Amino acid sequence: MITAQFDELIHPSTRLSIVALLAAADWVEFSFVRDQLSLSDSALSKQLSTLEDARYVRVERPTNGRRRRVHVRLTDAGRTAFRGHVAALQAIVGVAQSRNGEAQPR
Amino acid sequence: MDVPPLEARAALATVEKSRLRVIDEIGLPQWYWWGLALGWIILGWVTDLNYPWLTAAATLVFGAVHSAVAPRVINGRHRSNQLSVNADIVDRHLPALVLGGLIILAGITVAGAVAISADGAQHPVTITSIFVAVVIVLGGPRLLAAVRRRAVRSSARR
Repeated sequence: MITAQFDELIHPSTRLSIVALLAAADWVEFSFVRDQLSLSDSALSKQLSTLEDARYVRVERPTNGRRRRVHVRLTDAGRTAFRGHVAALQAIVGVAQSRNGEAQPR
Repeated sequence: MDVPPLEARAALATVEKSRLRVIDEIGLPQWYWWGLALGWIILGWVTDLNYPWLTAAATLVFGAVHSAVAPRVINGRHRSNQLSVNADIVDRHLPALVLGGLIILAGITVAGAVAISADGAQHPVTITSIFVAVVIVLGGPRLLAAVRRRAVRSSARR
């Protein structure tokens, strides 16, 4: 059961794109998020720090050979918050649609 | 917070766009198709050597290698090492679809080899295996493209 809950932390467009990307995956490489959303390293790091402080994402650095890798994943709390936020957005759109429907002349 | 419907709609479009970016990553790594095709040709060539024990050993090795590799990639969630697609996004029947396709191709290989052999060709299994290998390399990615299109349609219905 998803509870519609608008989340102001997730809502800004860039952060919403990041969280939605992470929600569709188990983990995503830092460089993939950066390239897909056309962000700079520092801009993405800043957004991830904010989400990490809210315990919505976890940044991991798996040791895999010599190549440095950074995996980002959504935590359970982040996933719940994202689903609630999407449900809240759908509710807003749904209410507007039903109002428009009622306002239509017969 | 009072969010206008237009803004909510735009936010939902942003969510869908991100989701489609991940759906685009559903697939099997290219090396899987090439490795499978190469293994198929080698197995066909070994069979044409007409040493039953060698054919049996090669088949076992082929099966063992495929069993070791397939479980990690055949679910379509690890096309690249850039991300792991969430299981909810990928069609859960995909492994069965790929394995079913391989079983059909094995049947085609045997039937084709028998038909070509009846025509007097010297290396019937190798010839059929090369044909099947081409089908694997060209058809595999197409199959996954169809799976991605289906995932997009299913995402749009949500």
